[in-house]
Amino acid sequence: MTPARFDELIHSPTRLAIVSLLAAVEWADFKVIRDQVGLSDSALSKQLSTLEEAGYVQIRKTFIGKRPRTSARLTGAGLAAFKQHVAALQQLVERSGVTVLPS
Amino acid sequence: MNERLRPDEATSALAEIARQQDKAIEATLVPAWYWWAVAAGMVAIGAAVDSHSAVVRGVVITVAVVVIAGLTAAMIFGSYRRVRVRSNELLGGRGAVAIVGFVWLIVGLTLGIAFGLRAAGAIMLGNRAGRAR
Repeated sequence: MTPARFDELIHSPTRLAIVSLLAAVEWADFKVIRDQVGLSDSALSKQLSTLEEAGYVQIRKTFIGKRPRTSARLTGAGLAAFKQHVAALQQLVERSGVTVLPS
Repeated sequence: MNERLRPDEATSALAEIARQQDKAIEATLVPAWYWWAVAAGMVAIGAAVDSHSAVVRGVVITVAVVVIAGLTAAMIFGSYRRVRVRSNELLGGRGAVAIVGFVWLIVGLTLGIAFGLRAAGAIMLGNRAGRAR
């Protein structure tokens, strides 16, 4: 069972969206993350840098022909922190006795 | 644990997580127009076979196969370059077995019914050539 640990860094709404998306994929192209989360290039770069500094995200820069391509993936530490954060949220919901109905 | 977080906020955060993960999976799905293109290709091949013209058959089948193969490659490699789903966690062993099992079930049923009908002497009602025989 995953231990519950609330993570302030991940819980920020924008970073939660980015990390949630990255948790579902092995890696994702910068443009895919930008379009899915709905951020500008600069805003996404800033958030990815923050996550990279925390050791949660690895950023990879490659070239397809002459075009640069940036992609990102969650590191092992990032995935573990995300799972612990989700467990903490679930625990909080369960303790409150709130019933979550599917939409 | 963050004691300041309210349960409804935690619920919203969990819903947002699920929404983002759904979007990640949707980003890797094959668009609907691809399936319509494949269906059109199959219909064209069927019509060409029924035309009894070697030229029409040769041209249409070649074009349809090239188009379908090209679209399929573009779908696979295009999606593969943009995003790759963490399939071992989302799909799992049971999911993979279920998909392979379903494919084999469909293939088995189709072949079984086709051979059964042929053995029973049934003509191929959906096929002009079968009706003409």
